[in-house]
Amino acid sequence: MTGYVMQRLVLMLVTLLAIITLTFFLMHAVPGGPFVSDKMMAPEIQAAINAKYHLDDPVWLQYLNYLKGIASFDLGPSFKYAGMSVNEIIAEGLPTTLKVGVLALICVVSLGVPLGIVAALNRNRWPDTLVMVVATIGVAVPSYVIATVALYLFALRLGWVPTFGLDDWRGYFLPVFALSGFWISFIARLARSSLLETLQQDYMITAKAKGLKPGQILFKHGLRNSLIPVVTVLGPVVANLITGSFVIEQIFALPGIGRHFVLSITNRDYTAIMGITIFYAAVLMVMIFIVDMLYLVLDPRIKYREAR
Amino acid sequence: MTDSPVAPQMWEPAARVAGAAEQIAAPSLTYWQDVRQRLWRNRTAMAGLVFIILLVIAAIFGPMVSPHTYYDQDLKLANIPPAFQLYEVTDGSGETTRFFFNSGNLNIYEVTDDGRIAGLIRGKKDLIKKQTLFTFGDVEVTLHTPTQTLTRGDGVVLAPGQWQWNMSNVFGTDQLGRDVLARQLYGARISLTVAFVATLVNFFIGVFYGGISGYLGGRIDTLMMRIVEVIATIPLTLYVILIMVVFNSGFFSVIIAIGSVYWVDMARIVRGQILTLKQQDYVAAARTMGASTGRILTRHLLPNSIGPILVALTMLIPSAIFIESFMSFIGLGVTPPEASWGTLTSEAVETLRAYPYQMFFPAAAISLTMFAFNFLGDGLRDALDPRLRT
Amino acid sequence: MTAPLLSVSDLRTSFFTSRGEVQAVRGVSFELRPGEILGIVGESGSGKSITCMSLLGLLKSNGRVIGGSALFEGQDLLTLDDRDLRRLRGDEIGMIFQDPMTSLNPTLTVGEQVIETILRHRRISRAAARQRAIELFELVRIPSAAKRLRSYPHEFSGGMRQRVMIAIALSCDPKLLIADEPTTALDVTIQRQVLALLKELQSRLGMAVILITHDLGVIAETADRVLVMYGGMVMEEAPVRRIFARPSHPYTRGLLASIPDLRDGAHQRLTPIPGSPPDMRHPPAGCPFAPRCTHAMAQCANVLPPVYDVEPGHGSRCWLHHPEAPRVEGVNDRELA
Ligand SMILES: Nc1ncnc2c1ncn2[C@@H]1O[C@H](COP(=O)(O)OP(=O)(O)OP(=O)(O)O)[C@@H](O)[C@H]1O
Ligand code: SF4
Ligand SMILES: [Mg+2]
Repeated sequence: MTGYVMQRLVLMLVTLLAIITLTFFLMHAVPGGPFVSDKMMAPEIQAAINAKYHLDDPVWLQYLNYLKGIASFDLGPSFKYAGMSVNEIIAEGLPTTLKVGVLALICVVSLGVPLGIVAALNRNRWPDTLVMVVATIGVAVPSYVIATVALYLFALRLGWVPTFGLDDWRGYFLPVFALSGFWISFIARLARSSLLETLQQDYMITAKAKGLKPGQILFKHGLRNSLIPVVTVLGPVVANLITGSFVIEQIFALPGIGRHFVLSITNRDYTAIMGITIFYAAVLMVMIFIVDMLYLVLDPRIKYREAR
Repeated sequence: MTDSPVAPQMWEPAARVAGAAEQIAAPSLTYWQDVRQRLWRNRTAMAGLVFIILLVIAAIFGPMVSPHTYYDQDLKLANIPPAFQLYEVTDGSGETTRFFFNSGNLNIYEVTDDGRIAGLIRGKKDLIKKQTLFTFGDVEVTLHTPTQTLTRGDGVVLAPGQWQWNMSNVFGTDQLGRDVLARQLYGARISLTVAFVATLVNFFIGVFYGGISGYLGGRIDTLMMRIVEVIATIPLTLYVILIMVVFNSGFFSVIIAIGSVYWVDMARIVRGQILTLKQQDYVAAARTMGASTGRILTRHLLPNSIGPILVALTMLIPSAIFIESFMSFIGLGVTPPEASWGTLTSEAVETLRAYPYQMFFPAAAISLTMFAFNFLGDGLRDALDPRLRT
Repeated sequence: MTAPLLSVSDLRTSFFTSRGEVQAVRGVSFELRPGEILGIVGESGSGKSITCMSLLGLLKSNGRVIGGSALFEGQDLLTLDDRDLRRLRGDEIGMIFQDPMTSLNPTLTVGEQVIETILRHRRISRAAARQRAIELFELVRIPSAAKRLRSYPHEFSGGMRQRVMIAIALSCDPKLLIADEPTTALDVTIQRQVLALLKELQSRLGMAVILITHDLGVIAETADRVLVMYGGMVMEEAPVRRIFARPSHPYTRGLLASIPDLRDGAHQRLTPIPGSPPDMRHPPAGCPFAPRCTHAMAQCANVLPPVYDVEPGHGSRCWLHHPEAPRVEGVNDRELA
């Protein structure tokens, strides 16, 4: 058990280090990249970066320096905005992104799973067909298409919700919907096929042969086992909610991290690109760790398998 | 027991066909025949396949036969819709002019009898009265900007007539006056090329990596799979973005970025297949007969792994299309005037308020393509899955 | 003679698949007395499992019982409503499956899987149910029973898991235990232990048992009476000693020839029956065994033979028992022509 937790922790840290390293050297490969002095740069930024990373040092020293910064949760100064640090950029966008992202995650789980269950239990009948048709649309149509169509229809045409911003509570509807649509569909399909597969298992027949009631069989024996694959994809779900937020925040003009990220790409704000990438990766690693622990609770076989 | 009488000849030994005993089992199809039959019967999968084939044909030949190019601009003919309602005005000399009114930019365009756009009709703008004056021979037509109504000189309000499909630009033109159909076809070409090439690159990397890992086995395998595990947890889209930042936007950068990142699943599948197949006898037999590693890999192992690989490929193509369009959408894809479904969509978003219909074609194109690949992939997976065989 | 505990007559079950109707069971009849062990043998696909699953209403959703009756203590299992059937399952009738690896839920402790069965059918406290589970574990000889209740299935060996399955099946003192190939998935030595355990428990608890197996050796050691199934039908039914001493049906004889003779030790040559079982989507019109039978006659291919009583309590479904049929040594040579 503790062996498993430790193993996951180590894997998480290794991955994070790999990401930081990869990001650092990728950005280093950019011609005129972040750690090269540049004539066009505002002098105070130049000074800040120089003070931080010692641009005359060899690359590996700069790398170590950067790592040291990250270890103390300091992502360094912005490359484009004088006096602004990457930490501040992230802090500014975080509340917006967090609110929309968490709501979307809640929608994904609380809508996707029940829809999948309903579909599986009504296999080949109309609720199943309905869920599958909608879910197939949800998986196939890109989120930015859903977002713009919804924006046009509900905001511009019908005026039910504001076209941008989150000042009004109704402003949350479209971004959350557009962000979670794909994953609600995906999870619904996954939960459906997983439950159908579980229902085919021998132990479900055993449960039936024991005389258990249908409700007991479904909830105690069926759902728990069929939720395991659903839990495993929650890590990737979070990763994709993060990247999905780039477009969604752009379309709905939300001042979140995703928008800052896209902006820093257009502005070639290299330190910000780097810092935000690493921030995302760290969030993701934590999420994956949580999922692993959840997995541990759901599937007792893990303890056994990994602790050997 | 009272036995019903039986004719004596019925007690003769039954006529036997040689090998009859072996033939009574269900007529068994070979695996691939079975797969093909299942796929063939799957309507949505077949519809998807047909759509993809048509799309590929359109993407290859469409831009060749199109009268327009994807880059020719004509700002005078910007934002023309694919269909419009005609107005007609007849002047004193009996000459009739057909035109339509574009409410998005308040312009009036002359239309020929066969539905082609003859050109922009210039009027005299009167900013104070908020109206524009057009003259057709001796007839004057006034456009009242606030109400968007057209009035003839004698005070009669002109009513729009029948609908006419735009025969010059069948899908209309965009905000720079470029032909939308030509751009769509060209966009399809780019999107599909990126998707196919990137998928192919992923395929080769995945097969190579997974093949080596599975074939060598042991510690090297463990190490290589640990690396895969690390890569799998990295948010790959972020890396596509970073690579794009490094290489700058453009067609080849997109291919490199997408192609180098999504091979992990492929590697896992290939490795898994190879591990199971390695245990099978004919591989050992081939080996004792002195076949080289490379030959065993290509001749024996890969043909047997083709099923799951095919499914993975069919699923990777739409993801590649999606990621390319996603990158283009946030401004990191192909560079203008080149077009892909992503850039076309994001261009349409810019004009969403004035010309919402411009969103239709790129959105429909990418969505239908995603559907087609998803259906085909699902169908293929079902057809290949022996568990479903009854 | 005591009244039968279970009396099945003309049971028919089909599966409806995309490729047509699979007639898995085509008119099976038999009786089972309290305390009796009935063995069912037959090649794979002959309909043994489906016969039993039909009785308990455990068919997959595409399967349907389309005819017959199955009286268990006077009530017809096939027409019983869902609720009443659920009360019987696990209580009056216990069932053990072939593969103990997959028939236990991997995410629940084995204790929980026993206890939930007891709590479902008995109005007792959880603590009492737990106590009963410990007793059951001791009964099926799982060492350190109280501790093992908290284990998960993957922490058990195959034989131990099957013991857990037996404990579950016996948890409510069933009158009938259906064991569907309970030892097939186990190692040979473990097979013997589990089988001995089953037989011992049967004589101690006095329940009736239906034992499905491929293994005629198991039948010889365990069963009182034997059904030989083929193509969804009972081909021969007889007391166990008769089956081995005077098998009457060509199929039974083929089966016996295909295993090493028990009396001679394992030295005889194996002669498997050539050919393969019929496709149950298009079962043969006549005797299902006709295409593989060395004695097949024109009559066999066309008309389904009735069950002939070779002796009281020994039936055989074969045209050779017809008084006018040609004589074949061992099958009907001692019968009156
Ligand atoms: N869900 C199903 N759908 C279609 N056909 C089925 C299904 N389940 C069983 N069958 C068919 O019913 C027939 C009888 O199967 P059954 O499981 O009773 O055989 P069995 O005698 O128990 O064989 P085994 O010794 O392999 O367990 C087989 O031909 C099988 O193919
Ligand atoms: S009825 Fe005919 S085919 Fe069937 S077992 Fe008897 S002899 Fe053989
Ligand atoms: Mg069976």
